[in-house]
Amino acid sequence: MYDTQIVQAVWGGVLFGSVYGLMALGLTLVWGAVRLLNLAHGAIFIVGAYAAYWVVSSLHLPILVALPFGVLAAAVFAYAMHLVFIRPVIGKPGFDNATLVATVGISISVSAAALLIFNPEYKVVPPELTGSYIVAGVQINYQGLLVIGTSLALFAILYLFLTYTRYGMAIRAVSQQMEAASLMTIPVVQTYGLVIAISGGLAGLAGVLLSPLFFLNPQSGFNPMIQALIVTIFGGLGSVRGALVAGFVLGVFESFVEVFYGVAWALPGVFILIIVMLIVRPNGLFGISEVRRL
Amino acid sequence: MLEVKGLVAGYAGSEVLHGIDLVVNDGEGVVVLGPNGHGKTTLLRAITGLLPPLAGQVLLNGEDITRWRADVIAAAGVVHIPQGDLLFPEMTVLENLLMGAYHGPTWAERNVRLGRVYELFPWLKERGGQLARSLSGGERRMLALGRGLMAKAKILLIDEPSLGLAPLTTQQIYASILTVKEGGMALLLADENANHVASLADRVYLLETGMLVRVGPAEELLHDKALLESYLG
Amino acid sequence: MSVGVVSQIASARPAIDQAAAPWRRVSLLTVGGTVLAGILIPWLLVRLPIGDYLVTLLILFFMQAVIAQSWNLIMGYGGIYSFAQVALFAVGGWTAAVLVSSLGWNPFVAVLFSPVIAVVAAVGIGLPTLRLRGVYVVLMTLAFHELARVFAVTGPRFISGGGYGLVNVPTFQFGNVIGEQRTIYLYYLAMVIFAIASFVIWRVIHSPLGMAVTALRDSETYAVSRGINQLRVRLILFAISAFFTGLAGGYMTHYNGGISTSVFDFPILIDLLAMIVIGGWGTFGGPILGAAIIIALDQYLVAIGDYRALFEGLIIAGIAVFAPQGMWPLIRNAYDRYLGPEPPARPTPESQRGGVPS
Repeated sequence: MYDTQIVQAVWGGVLFGSVYGLMALGLTLVWGAVRLLNLAHGAIFIVGAYAAYWVVSSLHLPILVALPFGVLAAAVFAYAMHLVFIRPVIGKPGFDNATLVATVGISISVSAAALLIFNPEYKVVPPELTGSYIVAGVQINYQGLLVIGTSLALFAILYLFLTYTRYGMAIRAVSQQMEAASLMTIPVVQTYGLVIAISGGLAGLAGVLLSPLFFLNPQSGFNPMIQALIVTIFGGLGSVRGALVAGFVLGVFESFVEVFYGVAWALPGVFILIIVMLIVRPNGLFGISEVRRL
Repeated sequence: MLEVKGLVAGYAGSEVLHGIDLVVNDGEGVVVLGPNGHGKTTLLRAITGLLPPLAGQVLLNGEDITRWRADVIAAAGVVHIPQGDLLFPEMTVLENLLMGAYHGPTWAERNVRLGRVYELFPWLKERGGQLARSLSGGERRMLALGRGLMAKAKILLIDEPSLGLAPLTTQQIYASILTVKEGGMALLLADENANHVASLADRVYLLETGMLVRVGPAEELLHDKALLESYLG
Repeated sequence: MSVGVVSQIASARPAIDQAAAPWRRVSLLTVGGTVLAGILIPWLLVRLPIGDYLVTLLILFFMQAVIAQSWNLIMGYGGIYSFAQVALFAVGGWTAAVLVSSLGWNPFVAVLFSPVIAVVAAVGIGLPTLRLRGVYVVLMTLAFHELARVFAVTGPRFISGGGYGLVNVPTFQFGNVIGEQRTIYLYYLAMVIFAIASFVIWRVIHSPLGMAVTALRDSETYAVSRGINQLRVRLILFAISAFFTGLAGGYMTHYNGGISTSVFDFPILIDLLAMIVIGGWGTFGGPILGAAIIIALDQYLVAIGDYRALFEGLIIAGIAVFAPQGMWPLIRNAYDRYLGPEPPARPTPESQRGGVPS
């Protein structure tokens, strides 16, 4: 029925959009502040998911306890990655190269480690909320609502954090004009660490919330990584607002394409949209052209 | 209070400063004069930690700050107002000013400092919500100056305050700097133009190709037209 | 500037730099010796009980080295972060497989078309993508990899073979030769491909094209302002890289007797990346050395099973950050220090004085 299709498409779009936004948020934050393309973002995502899984399956604690644990584990992991692999090359000319390759290497290792520790079987991470209700023939599950709510809440929290708090302003300062930031007594390298840890926590949160929606396995980080990359680029590298808007635009677009044209067209459709965006506005929706960053 | 001894600095393979000795005493206005490309900016950057020195020492009230990180040096009261302003483009005028006071004064203290800056440049108060990148050249300079003044500075290092400005704005800028100096602030000014700095300077150093070739009281150097012409062209 | 100063600079001009004519640096003896060794080795190896196996390892080495060199050409020298290498290999491989399986062509002829189609594919991806900044290239090439994989798995039967790839593809036939003899012929074919690829890549690196692409990598705005056409230069490099990668793909199809969709799995990409990073990013000998290391260690690495990826990932990350130049420069330096010829006499300060003070 036409009605059902619309509701399905909208629900799917809002849900996808929230998911994409959540994934992209951490990535765009790190790019903006550190100029780091964190290809280990997907790996941190599964660190959070697997950590939560471990708490539930080995410690037999409820998922609500596992959730903050997963977030924390991911943030700590991300910070450790910063200490070992990012900090040594900050400011050096080979930074872009080194960090790109290093984050790829880390991704590979995390996948392998997950395989070794947890074996390749698909794991089920329990959702925080169970149950659903029906609207116009479409199943709206509570976990989905939680994801949407959390995503929007996080964007709001992050926006407030970046705009009004001291550390948030420091992060913005470092991302806009690094030298001036240090002249303002802001410790740049420590700020990088802070951003990376926050970004890691966001990825971990996404991991814990989203893994009930699919089956967790060592390769689970790859697709979210690609999605995050697409949304980040579409919305504009470094723009938090962009990640939010782009997430929903792409989510709704993909959902409508899926519902009305079939699943097979979803991925190609999104790619066509991206290519159009890159031709029309190479910096994405809200991207700031590099020149002005000076 | 600020002492520089034998400072050597440069970039990737080429040495720009070949051993600089300089002193700024409390409340003094010291000007480093020199044509473009001879190392004025390098000198200021090396002192404030944006560029690690290759050799030599920088002492703040006797303490060796040579190898300190830029943010630590700034926190110690050595405030650098850099060439080209280096404002935060996507932040508002007010946010830029507040960033100047990042180092943690109380709200009250911050407002006091804001008040002082607004006295110098009243328009900053009116247009506090404007984004820094939409300001004109002169306005940016004033904002940069205001931002620097928001810090608890023991000494202000200002790099070419008149760079790229129209004559009227230039006058305004130097007048403001003079006001600050008259409040007892120590100044280290790098400049190209001898005329503007006459009222500010107590002592002058002449910098040429990375070395200080003359130093003396301002009255002596700044009024010696022949000398200035041969060094500044 | 006085006239005296100018003339002093002119008279101090140094002799032509050795590096300007690099082919003169590699002695004929070295090249000749290596080629001779390459030709003789298989005959020596087959004397050993595991000789046949060792020769196949060498064949694998040759092919991996070709792909690694090709990838290094665009990533290390060109600074283009493309992850489409495996997909291009697959394009080449599938081209040969389809031409032989479905159209009944002779493998030797089909293999000639692999590089051509791979180049077409490369230009197809390259045109929209290479204009863009580094991070976009990552995304677009990853997308191409995914799309290629999906197409290979779910595409029409003559390509996907039911989802696992094409099997029972006729292999190279050298008359009626079988067994060890055949392996040796396969070896020579692989060696020829390796030699041609290495030679071409070496010449490209030391040619104006190579200089242009490195200039673009190091300082794009400056290079463009000096008249280097960014898109054209990068596209040509991308095409050259795709050419040899596709050729390797075609060869491997007829060597293995088929091509499987598992080629898109990560372990191969990881191995290739490790070869470049460990061997020496952006150097000529690096990927070759890296391929040798990885293939040599392969046997031991298989023994540790799943730990392999873990270690490879950590080593890749570690080297990228702490020893980005890789192993090749270390070996080069050791060679220069202990075995190399004396460097030409350094110009004395007197002959160099007369420059402008900065």
